[in-house]
Amino acid sequence: MVALLRPDEGSIVKTHKTRSVTIKRSFRSLAVKYALLLLACAVVMYPLFWMITMAFKPFDEWTTGSGLTWLPQNATLGNFEYLFYGQTEGLVVTLDRTIGGPLWASLVTSTCGTIIAVVAGTLSSYAVVRFNILPSLALSVLQLRLFPPLAVMIPVMVMWAFIGGVDTWWGLSLIYGIVTLPFAFWLMKTFFDEVPIEIEEAARVAGSSYWRVFYRITLPIVKPGLATCVLFVFILNWSDYLLALLLTQKEWVTLPVYMNTLNTALGEMYGMKAALGFIAAIPPIFLGLLIQKHLVRGLTFGALKQ
Amino acid sequence: MTELSSNTSASLASNVGEKRGYWSRVGRDGRKLGKWFVAPTVALLIFIVIFPLLMQLYLSFTWWTPLDGVPWYQAYESFNWGENYLILAYDPAFWAALWRTAMIMLVAVPAQFFLGLGLAYLFIDKFPGRKVFYSIVLTPMMVVPAVVGLMFFLLFQGTGPVNDSLGLPASFSWLTDPNRALISVIIADTWQWTPLMFLILLAGMLGVPSDQLLAARLLGGSNWQNFYKIILPRMKSVIAIAIVLRLVECFKIFDLIFIMTSGGPGVATETISLFLYKKTFADLDWAYVGAVGLAVLIVLSLIAAFGLSRVAKNKG
Repeated sequence: MVALLRPDEGSIVKTHKTRSVTIKRSFRSLAVKYALLLLACAVVMYPLFWMITMAFKPFDEWTTGSGLTWLPQNATLGNFEYLFYGQTEGLVVTLDRTIGGPLWASLVTSTCGTIIAVVAGTLSSYAVVRFNILPSLALSVLQLRLFPPLAVMIPVMVMWAFIGGVDTWWGLSLIYGIVTLPFAFWLMKTFFDEVPIEIEEAARVAGSSYWRVFYRITLPIVKPGLATCVLFVFILNWSDYLLALLLTQKEWVTLPVYMNTLNTALGEMYGMKAALGFIAAIPPIFLGLLIQKHLVRGLTFGALKQ
Repeated sequence: MTELSSNTSASLASNVGEKRGYWSRVGRDGRKLGKWFVAPTVALLIFIVIFPLLMQLYLSFTWWTPLDGVPWYQAYESFNWGENYLILAYDPAFWAALWRTAMIMLVAVPAQFFLGLGLAYLFIDKFPGRKVFYSIVLTPMMVVPAVVGLMFFLLFQGTGPVNDSLGLPASFSWLTDPNRALISVIIADTWQWTPLMFLILLAGMLGVPSDQLLAARLLGGSNWQNFYKIILPRMKSVIAIAIVLRLVECFKIFDLIFIMTSGGPGVATETISLFLYKKTFADLDWAYVGAVGLAVLIVLSLIAAFGLSRVAKNKG
């Protein structure tokens, strides 16, 4: 876990640490470098900052009506209040669905989807790496990621309707587990690849069963990797929009889908949407920082390691 | 923990030779356990790939829609001998959507690549504040795509901050003008995914052996020469990975556009995914969507197979 929390070592392909050769740079080139970096940070922060401040702005500061300002002039928690309690001062319209349901739905389905993906992915990648069973599984799993989900969603929707999985927590969790399985599989495969087989063979010689070796020796060794994998897959599930849009209707609508339905007779509810976006954006950013070190590995299906 | 284990494995690996990677001798109960281990994944794959594909193939040869009042397995009642595929071949909306998707890919991915490459070059050596900058630059990638759509939806409003800070009137609309809507979408996608390019390319750059760089520098190579002649050629495969990954994801783009413009104005930002979505829910033309989906699937698989064979050839 400690290794997990330590962000980027700047190293790659395992052997290289951040370049030890420091290049002598003139003051001018250093200044240019920092200027460019600050510019990049400004570009990164601009949209985020606008959304976050928007979340704290009262109704009349949402648009150019009274002149746009970067910081809210009369900062308010009204937008959040409206989301959580369905009403707030100055708004006649009440919200019939508050954020509670979607927040819960997002949490439950992302968590269950993560469990499915990580359990199936961990077990099968171990079997492929160690027992050499179905080596072709690796590529067929990867192919799942190639296609636009909408191109294959018709039968899935028919099937989900048939098994009664539409708008249920388990229906959405199941599809989440399946679409993030490739990530879990490949991420865990890279971690298992790194475990020295000699340790396991020594345990075998000492008389442990295969299951015991896996459970007692290998799994504890890859624990940091497993934690990374869990967080990574959770981020992916949490970030989904399309699947929830297709497979939920009301009860189990997730945060992003709920966000886009937030319109009332008053028109676009910028402030509330921004507040909601803010809430939805926090967990992945936070978790992403925790697993920064392994992001490359996860996102490239283990083709690159850091 | 991982570092430690990889060190030990490095020292021991030489003794074991080729057998590293999987058990040198897997006993019968080992293979049995392995079968149990792959069972859930195989079951899920069969559940989500084989059966749905057959169903999609079947439905795509009919006129079936969920409004028919006929369950899907009786779709043969409206069997149409593949007319959907004929319609597809002459469907201008489909080809236009494909073209638009290609355009987004062709503009956004190179833009992300060059920006990412430049950024990565800034991070190639140590400097004070590197970790902080690194974390900040990576942030966009972690934001939920739907929320990115919302953020840029807010920014590009006529009455929004972009017009405000550029001094443009509120009537200068970004999202309701066909060309500018496309540009806005590309900007948003670039904002979100340049960090991914950066992350991968930086990993590749740091993988270039530093003694080679040092030698080049000692021999008097300029920074540009070092970059162009030493670093770039050595990160070819990394560049390929980054670009392929982004192309695939860009082809699938949906969330961002759906929230920013819903494919509009008109069909100005309607990519393949949005086209399919519209056909699915506005027209309820499910059999046709199935046909389009299968066609896309087959073409993508052929491209992937071709790409993989190229990769295999390069390795061999």
